[in-house]
Amino acid sequence: MAVKEVIIYSTPTCVYCKMAKEFFQKHDVSYQEYNVSTDLEKRGEMFNKSHQMGVPVIDIGGEIFVGFNRPDIEKALGIQR
Amino acid sequence: MYDLVIIGGGPGGIAGGVYAARKKLKTALIAESFGGQSITSADIQNWIGTQSISGFDLAKNLENHLRAQRGLEIIDGDLVIKVEKINNGFSVATQQGKILETKTILICSGSRHRKLGILGERELDGKGVAYCSTCDAPLFSDKTVAVIGAGNAGLEAVRDLLSYAEKVYMLVRSEKIKGDPLTFDQIKSDQRVEIIYNAEAKEIFGQQFVTGLAYLDKPSNEMKKLELSGVFIEVGSMPNAEFLGDLVQKTPYSEIIVNAVNQQTSQLGIWAAGDVTMSPYRQNNISAGDAVKAILNIQEYLNGNRS
Repeated sequence: MAVKEVIIYSTPTCVYCKMAKEFFQKHDVSYQEYNVSTDLEKRGEMFNKSHQMGVPVIDIGGEIFVGFNRPDIEKALGIQR
Repeated sequence: MYDLVIIGGGPGGIAGGVYAARKKLKTALIAESFGGQSITSADIQNWIGTQSISGFDLAKNLENHLRAQRGLEIIDGDLVIKVEKINNGFSVATQQGKILETKTILICSGSRHRKLGILGERELDGKGVAYCSTCDAPLFSDKTVAVIGAGNAGLEAVRDLLSYAEKVYMLVRSEKIKGDPLTFDQIKSDQRVEIIYNAEAKEIFGQQFVTGLAYLDKPSNEMKKLELSGVFIEVGSMPNAEFLGDLVQKTPYSEIIVNAVNQQTSQLGIWAAGDVTMSPYRQNNISAGDAVKAILNIQEYLNGNRS
């Protein structure tokens, strides 16, 4: 299976962002992170993708997730339990 | 068949898990995640034995304490969707398709954010309407925002927002602040905070993003309007008890009715502790303590049944 590109839009204090990043690290998923509290261009990109401003927004190969719901993310990444 | 299934991974569920493991009850604990609702708190200063800890670190500590127990089965990343009565006990079904049979259950499923239910709230959710101040406060740099609610969560939201926002209105339904006076002292002297008492939020305005909020000024009975770009809603909680149906008795607010001495519900074999119950005091320490009471009582019940 081709490796999907993973992007997380986050803020520094958001715990669900931290949980998501710890999850990626645990499963050796490489990801690109954008801090949307300071990066206004990426904030706009996040809004265009998710149509909302809450963080985290996770983009897995074009599939967009608002918040960190572990079963959904596992499924999108094809991670077996 | 399990002796006990614990539902929930907050302070109640973890305390229950630790005690059940030490009592060597054959136990499974099912949790979507660990730490409970205060996981989003930036700084918890009343968790007894710890002067100051973030919600995230407290969640980690709780999870580590649970995982250090031997003989306990932990099912995480899963949710209970149904509990049914069977011969000699109950069956517990999860979202991921597991079915567990057990003699007893301890419910520590906690509660979730209550919505205000006003016009614009749902339409503008994530577009200025927010429920997690530590998550979303950084997006409101130099903006004007309102916090609705004057409990501890509301006060903490104001405090989190003061690191970023230009002005923070705090709308209080009554004449009283319900949260801790110590937290209130930290925010009330800040020039950027304006507290509006006797104010009932009525509508949130905006097209693509929030632009304003209308509230009823109760003393004058007049509708007033604030121009702002964010509304943080902290108006209490809704118990996570739907999966029980009418297996246990609940209050009109859907909280599980319990015996405060031993945490028993109306259904023999089911106990409940923490924010999912009718207990009016929503605190990490109380959830943990109530769950401990429940486990000690469950052990007595199982011993009596085993003979």
